Amino acid sequence: MKGNRRRHFFINKPLQLRYMLSVTVPLLLICCVAIFGFYIGIWGSVLGAFTNEAMRDDLLTASRMVEYEQARYQTAHEGFSLLSLFKETEKLGQRQREVFHEILNETNRAIAWKLLLLLVLTAWGTIYVSHKIAGPLYRFSKTFSDVERGNYRTRIFLRKGDEGHPVAKEFNAAIESADRLLSDLKTAAQNPDQAQALATIKAKLDPIKTSADV
Amino acid sequence: MFRSFFIFFILVTFLTPCQAEAYHPTPEEIELITKIEKDTLQYFIRLSDKNTGLTRDSSRSGSPSSIAATGFALAAFAIGGSRGWIPHDYAYNRVLATLKVLKEDAQHQNGFFYHFLDARSAKRVWSSEASSIDTALLLAGALLAGQYYPGTEVETIAKELYERVDWKWMMNGSKFICMGWTPESKFLPYYWDSYNELMLLEALAVGAPQNPAPPETWHAWLRPEGNYNGHRVIYASSGSLFTYQYSHAFIDFRGLKDDGNDFFDNSREATLANRDFSLSFAGKYRGYSENSWGLSASVGPGGYKAYGSLPGGATHDGTIAPYAAISSIVFTPELSIAALKFFYNNYAENIYGNFGFKGAFNLDKSWWADEYLGIDQGITLLMLENFLNDGIVWKKFMSLDAIQKWITLTGLAGKSDENASESPSLEVATPTASPLPQ
Repeated sequence: MKGNRRRHFFINKPLQLRYMLSVTVPLLLICCVAIFGFYIGIWGSVLGAFTNEAMRDDLLTASRMVEYEQARYQTAHEGFSLLSLFKETEKLGQRQREVFHEILNETNRAIAWKLLLLLVLTAWGTIYVSHKIAGPLYRFSKTFSDVERGNYRTRIFLRKGDEGHPVAKEFNAAIESADRLLSDLKTAAQNPDQAQALATIKAKLDPIKTSADV
Repeated sequence: MFRSFFIFFILVTFLTPCQAEAYHPTPEEIELITKIEKDTLQYFIRLSDKNTGLTRDSSRSGSPSSIAATGFALAAFAIGGSRGWIPHDYAYNRVLATLKVLKEDAQHQNGFFYHFLDARSAKRVWSSEASSIDTALLLAGALLAGQYYPGTEVETIAKELYERVDWKWMMNGSKFICMGWTPESKFLPYYWDSYNELMLLEALAVGAPQNPAPPETWHAWLRPEGNYNGHRVIYASSGSLFTYQYSHAFIDFRGLKDDGNDFFDNSREATLANRDFSLSFAGKYRGYSENSWGLSASVGPGGYKAYGSLPGGATHDGTIAPYAAISSIVFTPELSIAALKFFYNNYAENIYGNFGFKGAFNLDKSWWADEYLGIDQGITLLMLENFLNDGIVWKKFMSLDAIQKWITLTGLAGKSDENASESPSLEVATPTASPLPQ
């Protein structure tokens, strides 16, 4: 196991750095938007409601007024509320719970569209990033199929910014070399002088290492 | 010989009319009750606006004034002045200034004041209703103050405030008195149609010198009967103890028979039922015990609620309002004093302050109210005064023409004069004698 331990963190530094950037920048962006959204959404509502002491007093007095009415007229029965999941709300008055319920609802509404925007941004970012990998992979696959079918004139063409340019370059060089070899063999095979043709072919194939050499 | 003696013994034992023994508080108990009453008075001194005299609903910051609390304040100042706890002139001037504001500045509709007023401007706040019951509590305090200062401007203005109330209008063409009216929605869809704290309101409405409610309205409201643990009670829907107390702070119901119903005895039974009910839950709630009881409308961990017992709504969560047990002192003196001492000796650190007992506490939720409520302090003060001072509030209030008119018109078999003659002394009660039966 010890022998399999990675010794180099950077195998392909530019590629990895680009990946790090492409992952961290959207993540940072998402975090910023999320934090901003939550900060504005939640704290904006809460701070808005409790801007000052007078506001707080008004809130409590308003809740007390409603509680007085409910105690006197005994009309309202408290229904289920998500707030009741929070033990802390046990010590809040009914009107206070209603107010906080409303604040949470407003907060949710306020951050809902931000979350939607985040989702769209994330989806777009994911597609954009994955396209830079998926596109080249598709082209690699198509080119391999062409080669399998005997088309050695095929080449891998990648878009600017796509990943895999060095690999494609090397592959194109390899396929170009094979294409040249096969072209030479084909040309030699068309030579009417069979002996010379065979000698040429043999000379071309000699440096080639294949399974037949084993 | 033995047979004759045995028969005599049986006759004496079972045929002699049952005479309830008056409870005699010890000097220490008298001292503590007096301290609590004096401390409670401080609420009205400190939390009534210095210019308008309007009293804040609660000690909580930002609380508006409440006309019910202001009514209790008028009574409290008069009592405090008469007791010498505050200077006579100071008490008189505060009462007079408040009454002048109520007459000239306070917003009202046909004589009915809005439930909550701005303490400085005396204008309606929080879209509150012109409240019939709260106006009644205010008028009761004003009329009582008038009795403490007979022949003065206080008495004159108190009567003027009373006379300008149009009780018929508040009935809105029905046989009951409506709970309130707002400029926006007009009459509220709630009426005083069943037993609760309504009796004071009904008495003032029927006995009013101007635009009175017809006597039939007294007989119209329901008197639902219930039974809990052997206590038969004409009960209020909430089962809250305060509903059995408010009217009794001013009106001496002892001896008044309403078609056979004795509402003083009824309140005693309701108090005992309330205590028994909380005791039956003593295993579930730590706050309930033999000397810790009193389920009544109060602040609580979940806000202000109409806590109560059976028979009635029986909403409870372990919250005890000290004022509830204390204000039943005229009905159950021994039990109420035991509760009062228990609260004071065990929880004073958390629940007792400069203005007496705070709103409520809940041991299970480790919750202690950090505020005083004007109406809680008011009922406490008046009931303690009745107990300590020979039923002085009752005597003064019962001698009002309006109350006598109400008794006559409704056919209540009144023995209030007898009560008055039984305890004519208006002196401060001595440590060894309390006028009230156990």
